[in-house]
Amino acid sequence: MMIIMYPGAPRAQIDNVVAAIEKQKLSAHLIEGVEQTIIGAVGDGHSVPKEIFEALPGVLSVQRISQPYKLASRQFHEHDSVFPLDGFTIGAEEIGIIAGPCSVESRSQILEIAQAVCEAGANALRGGVFKPRTSPYAFQGLGEEGLEYMAEAREKTGLPIVVEVMAVSQIEMMTKYVDVFQLGARNMQNFNLLRAIGETRTPVLFKRGMSATIEEFLMASEYIISGGNTRVILCERGIRTFETATRNTTDINAIPVLKKLTHLPVIIDPSHSTGDSAYVSAIAKAGVAAGADGIIVEVHNDPANAISDGRQSLTPEAFAKMVKQVKAVAEAVDRRLAPVHHVQA
Amino acid sequence: MMIIMKANATPQQVEAVIEQVKSAGLNIHLSQGVEATIIGAIGETHNIPADRFEVLEGVEAVQRITQPYKLASRQFHPEDSIIPMNGFSVGGNEIVVIAGPCSVENRSQIIETAIAVKEAGATALRGGVFKPRTSPYAFQGLGEEGLEYMAEARAQTGLPIVAEIMSQVQVDLMIKYVDILQVGARNMQNFNLLRAIGETRISVLLKRGLSATIEELLMSAEYILAGGNNHVMLCERGIRTFETATRNTTDINAIPVLKKLTHLPVILDPSHSTGHADYVAAVARAAIAAGADGLIIEVHPDPAHAVSDGKQSLKPEKFAEMIKQVGQIAQIMGGRLATVHGEYQPPMNKKIKRK
Repeated sequence: MMIIMYPGAPRAQIDNVVAAIEKQKLSAHLIEGVEQTIIGAVGDGHSVPKEIFEALPGVLSVQRISQPYKLASRQFHEHDSVFPLDGFTIGAEEIGIIAGPCSVESRSQILEIAQAVCEAGANALRGGVFKPRTSPYAFQGLGEEGLEYMAEAREKTGLPIVVEVMAVSQIEMMTKYVDVFQLGARNMQNFNLLRAIGETRTPVLFKRGMSATIEEFLMASEYIISGGNTRVILCERGIRTFETATRNTTDINAIPVLKKLTHLPVIIDPSHSTGDSAYVSAIAKAGVAAGADGIIVEVHNDPANAISDGRQSLTPEAFAKMVKQVKAVAEAVDRRLAPVHHVQA
Repeated sequence: MMIIMKANATPQQVEAVIEQVKSAGLNIHLSQGVEATIIGAIGETHNIPADRFEVLEGVEAVQRITQPYKLASRQFHPEDSIIPMNGFSVGGNEIVVIAGPCSVENRSQIIETAIAVKEAGATALRGGVFKPRTSPYAFQGLGEEGLEYMAEARAQTGLPIVAEIMSQVQVDLMIKYVDILQVGARNMQNFNLLRAIGETRISVLLKRGLSATIEELLMSAEYILAGGNNHVMLCERGIRTFETATRNTTDINAIPVLKKLTHLPVILDPSHSTGHADYVAAVARAAIAAGADGLIIEVHPDPAHAVSDGKQSLKPEKFAEMIKQVGQIAQIMGGRLATVHGEYQPPMNKKIKRK
């Protein structure tokens, strides 16, 4: 950490800062410039809050040199984290494709879509049963009934299932059903939920908040990892900007930035990051070309009559076409699609 | 245009709006709902400002149905625009790669870079001679001397040259030298400059402003097209967001969105849109996978000593590596990298129409 003093800060203030640094078991390194003094706080400072020094008299600003996250950092864990997800691995050479509807609407709907995405090349099935809808009057999800249908779809197709968890109180019940917990963008900084998920050993698909910086995203993932749950997949799903032509702005930079900063697998959600099915395939390809380890895509058998997110959902046919294109891009960047499940009769 | 009346609008107010719509030469389609009356204004509305109706009493809101741009629109021109360059074209099956330093610093620097990027597979040379630097104390460019060096680099390599124009007083000078005029992000809404360039017949690389929406970018293109200059390429170069891990945020969505809305070629500048050499190749690949027609990349023989943009500049070796990766993506997209053929051909139709 670098503590920059005001120009002309008196010796007593500098000594006071040095004492505060030493109290944190860090060593102080003084750089006396022409205009001002800079004090380096050297040591393992990732758990020391900046505010301790910012509040001291004579301090102009405090800058972190090392990252404030540790377990998520590539410095700490040099090699890519790779973990199996029932039938495929995420984070290595294989590109995983997660597909399914925004919401589980009925038994026949999810079974039909599961079958279709499985045949088209999906490696996992998504489907929401607790829905964080902007409007409290909109469809809120089928709850446990939906989980039963998801479990049935898994049995029929062999696809592992990914379902969003919205509250600590849902964890115990959901653990019985799901293979991967999804933590949605709106809950990225729901720290109680993150801690509770960190206590489980279920893999997590962790979505970036709409207005979260990459650093905040990694700090939030640190909450889960520090509980001992190391199987965290990060997901870029678009950020809020001034542009209104699309629902969100895909931060494609986040893919190579995250791959550099962290060892965790990184996937992209082009359905939410564009909000329009016309753009999903282009951005899915871009995600894989930029180095993403997978994609999560919304697919619906009847987008026009979907209860939620119809506009950004692909039909099974459009999805199958997208998978073919993504496969070609994967091969162009020396990756390959994860092997497809064989649909059971 | 849809004019939505307030729930409590009086019949007289509705009548006044109808009169105004008719006086603009438009037809009326009235729909009386339970809560509000909506007046549809039908006809050629792209040149009628919405405020003309917004200010009337009893009007709640005015919504455009058609796009406010026309010449740039794919509705108006369904086929892709293809811009011919020196032996290749932009906007068709070929992927163009424009490369070079941020600034022309001296003769040997630009010639050395030109030869290196040509060998690596670039199809045009970039180099700034008038620099819009954030600080007035920073290097402002070599001016005409730089253009001479650029022309010399072109003569040696056959690469067409791209240089940024900052002011309409530079038009006469620059068209003597350059093949493509670049309008930078900071000048995207310098409307006098856009109009002046619209009067020329030289190709233009129009960069999206830092805080410009896609619609605003297309409206700016419309300024140039309206002057009769059809050779406009659009360039996504990153937008300003809250994220600080990168210099800008690449709006990759803009690629398929622009390809849908406009017939103009769309290229991406991953050097500016990321601001960091480590991320340039990944985002370049992403752009081509998303459907971009080309790339513009900053390359410097010695980034550590570049007078500007060193952090985001690739070394020639890294650039060559990037070109190979981009070529593989281009291939699976059904295209190929453009190549410069033979001797340099001076560009045609460079004369100013009105002077």
